[in-house]
Amino acid sequence: MSRAGQALRTSYLVASVAGVLFFALSVALLGVWPARLLDQQTAAMAPEKPLEPTTSEKRGRAVYAREGCAYCHTQQIRYLHADMSRFGAPTLAWETRRDTPHLWGTRRIGPDLSRVGGTRSLDWQYAHLYAPRAMVAASVMPGYPALFDGAPDRPRQEARDLVAYLDALGRARELAGPEGESRARAGCNCPDDEMQQMAFEGPLNAHPARAIRTPDAAPALAGGDLERGQALYGRHCATCHGTTGAGDGPGARYLAPAPAKLAEHAYATARLADVLWHGVAGSAMPAWRDYSTEDRAALALAVQALSAPRPEPEVPAHLVTLGREVYAANCAQCHGVDGDGRGSAAGKLTMAPANFTAQRLSLTEAVRVLREGVHGSPMAPWTTRLTDAERLAAAHYVRSLFRAAPPAMVGR
Amino acid sequence: MFGLVAAWQLIAPDLGRDVAWLGWGRVRYAHTQGIMLGWLANAFFAFLYHAVPILTGRPVTSARLGVWIFALWNLAVMAPGWVLVLAGVSQPLEWAEFPLVVDVVAVLALALAAVQFLPGFFRRGIESLYVSSWYIIGGLVFTLLSYPMGNVVPEFLPGAAGAAISGLWIHDAVGLFVTPMALAILYFVIPASTGRPVFSHFLSMLGFWLLFFLYPLNGTHHYVYSVIPMAAQLTAIVASALLGVTVVIVVTNLFLSMRGAGLLPKDPALRFVGTGTFFYVIVSLQGSAQAQMAVNETVHFTDWVVAHSHMAMLGFASFAAAGGLVHAWQRMPEARYNATAITWAYWMLVVGLVGMVVDLTIGGLVQGELWKSGAPWIDSVTASRVYWVARAHIGSILAAGFIALLVGLTTGPRGAGMSVRPAPSTDGRDEVAPRLAPATEAL
Repeated sequence: MSRAGQALRTSYLVASVAGVLFFALSVALLGVWPARLLDQQTAAMAPEKPLEPTTSEKRGRAVYAREGCAYCHTQQIRYLHADMSRFGAPTLAWETRRDTPHLWGTRRIGPDLSRVGGTRSLDWQYAHLYAPRAMVAASVMPGYPALFDGAPDRPRQEARDLVAYLDALGRARELAGPEGESRARAGCNCPDDEMQQMAFEGPLNAHPARAIRTPDAAPALAGGDLERGQALYGRHCATCHGTTGAGDGPGARYLAPAPAKLAEHAYATARLADVLWHGVAGSAMPAWRDYSTEDRAALALAVQALSAPRPEPEVPAHLVTLGREVYAANCAQCHGVDGDGRGSAAGKLTMAPANFTAQRLSLTEAVRVLREGVHGSPMAPWTTRLTDAERLAAAHYVRSLFRAAPPAMVGR
Repeated sequence: MFGLVAAWQLIAPDLGRDVAWLGWGRVRYAHTQGIMLGWLANAFFAFLYHAVPILTGRPVTSARLGVWIFALWNLAVMAPGWVLVLAGVSQPLEWAEFPLVVDVVAVLALALAAVQFLPGFFRRGIESLYVSSWYIIGGLVFTLLSYPMGNVVPEFLPGAAGAAISGLWIHDAVGLFVTPMALAILYFVIPASTGRPVFSHFLSMLGFWLLFFLYPLNGTHHYVYSVIPMAAQLTAIVASALLGVTVVIVVTNLFLSMRGAGLLPKDPALRFVGTGTFFYVIVSLQGSAQAQMAVNETVHFTDWVVAHSHMAMLGFASFAAAGGLVHAWQRMPEARYNATAITWAYWMLVVGLVGMVVDLTIGGLVQGELWKSGAPWIDSVTASRVYWVARAHIGSILAAGFIALLVGLTTGPRGAGMSVRPAPSTDGRDEVAPRLAPATEAL
């Protein structure tokens, strides 16, 4: 064999060994070493006793994996402001310590789901899983009727597990609370690392649709383009509230409380501003914070246009006094003495009581609600406690509390 | 076909709504595994049966072993893999969706393939190996290492650590299995078809080693801006840039080897292979670019990346595989060959692929910009619809192209491929082997 051949042979042998070593190096450098660092990070930054997934959530996770949900929904919020302002704090290593195998995903057709827990109501999740376009008209998500017994309100075990899993996403960090965050911050020990510090910036859950119960005022709305509002309404609201605002959209029947019959309400603009910004916590009504002020103003106009002004019914004199008495005795604890929804018991309820100064129900709707209650909300039927006349009087009375532009519109 | 179903489901999401096994996610699992393991791996194995005896100068290890590998791969990997994934038994890991039980058989089959194809190379002495041989050895050996790493390990590692390994496999699957096999075909078919040795054996070997050093270091670029340690992310980003440089070296060498054949070579095998080479350099430079943080920020998670992976698996790998098959068919007197169908296949695949890549790249940019603008999420879905509609139709062209390829290789008169073979070289011989020997003395 020639000398050149021998040299070549030797160099090939060296290169072959080096090639295998490089592969080993890649696994060590990009697989094993990061895994060790991430383990250390998890140990240092996790809360003392982090929330463990329940059996149902684990089973739900398996359904999520099996159906390939991760191919359209990531579970990884990047250290980028665009991600953080939409979904919340970047995903920390310890948050994924029970995710075996990982479900990070590499494509977002739908939104990231890392912090979707508590963002949507459970009945919305069921209805949406069953028939996505009944809830979000433009969605391209496949429906999963196979997880149900023929209707969204008859979920099989798998659907219950899946929804339990979805509703738990992000919960471990949320429940770790401020103590957990400060422990993570201390464990990170990275005060000068700008990127790592981003994990502690801003709200934990920034989902713009998440309903928030807060006394903070929503940005005020004024003006607005009615036509634009009607187009937006048709695209985003009609699925639940119905095209005419009768509360009869395709998604309506599976939600409790049922979507508001917008045509039966007169709303103060401030009330609509509040609902569109904060959503209605305790119901399936999401917030629409990702829509511009102009769009929300346009939507408010469109909603107001759904209830045509009608001649006000005369209130018989004897009902006025009776109504005031019935209201004071039965309704004021929750709805407030002045009807502003801030009664002494209001804060303890799963859903904020209606603020009658900012919204006026039609008489028939008010009478119906008093008779039937609002299923899925703390508002009970009043047929056993009040007579027909008392309920009619109360209906008249709550309508009289409406102030189209109330002096102090804070919260509900 | 699964890809086509998935594409249509995005624009008609209620398609197959009541059939659980036709759920989008499951179909999507079947699509990626089908393309990589069902189509490409089978095509590569077929080509190896043609190339390895020529490269080594002796037959493959055993014909009976070949039957076993074929049966294992198609009846014990692909068929049960597809059935299980559609039935809901799968791994939620990209490019590794077949469940563990199938992985075991796949590794066994790959090991048998190594036994089948590799011994001849070592008998010949490694100093006289042609570059295609190196790629075949590298591809088979490294796939044996990376397949279990990527298909088994992440199934048992949690969260971020599992994602890190998954990222490695996503790249190794392409870089250590598909790319070496496809390059082996390019380096084989080009000199065999043009009648001249490759432009530079030195460059070809340089490219080979750089590729095998750099490819494995790329994986973490799938998780830029994640909690995976920044040093790992940066390593992958730098390696991605270097990889782009390497591919330019490789492709320059390939194109110089093809000079004189024209933009649209007459030999259909060379035409497929040349187009594949072209897509290879485009997709690699694109890959280097999108690994950079400033680009990744916008295009990650969008259809841009989907376009990228289609260009890699269809543009580069499938064109190489098709070229390899056509080349082999031209040299088998008993093989049926339909020249018209092959021409149609080429053009439909070119039109379909370019259309899909352009369409999804633009769609991806639109999605990325809308996400950054803070517009409501659903706006990005609504805005994507036009691109998804286009993609579904273009996908039909691609599927038709593959059917035409199948028709081209299974119908027509036996041995018809021999007539579209390039004319024998000037020395009057049509022996392929001499042109594939490395010019050791050139060093």
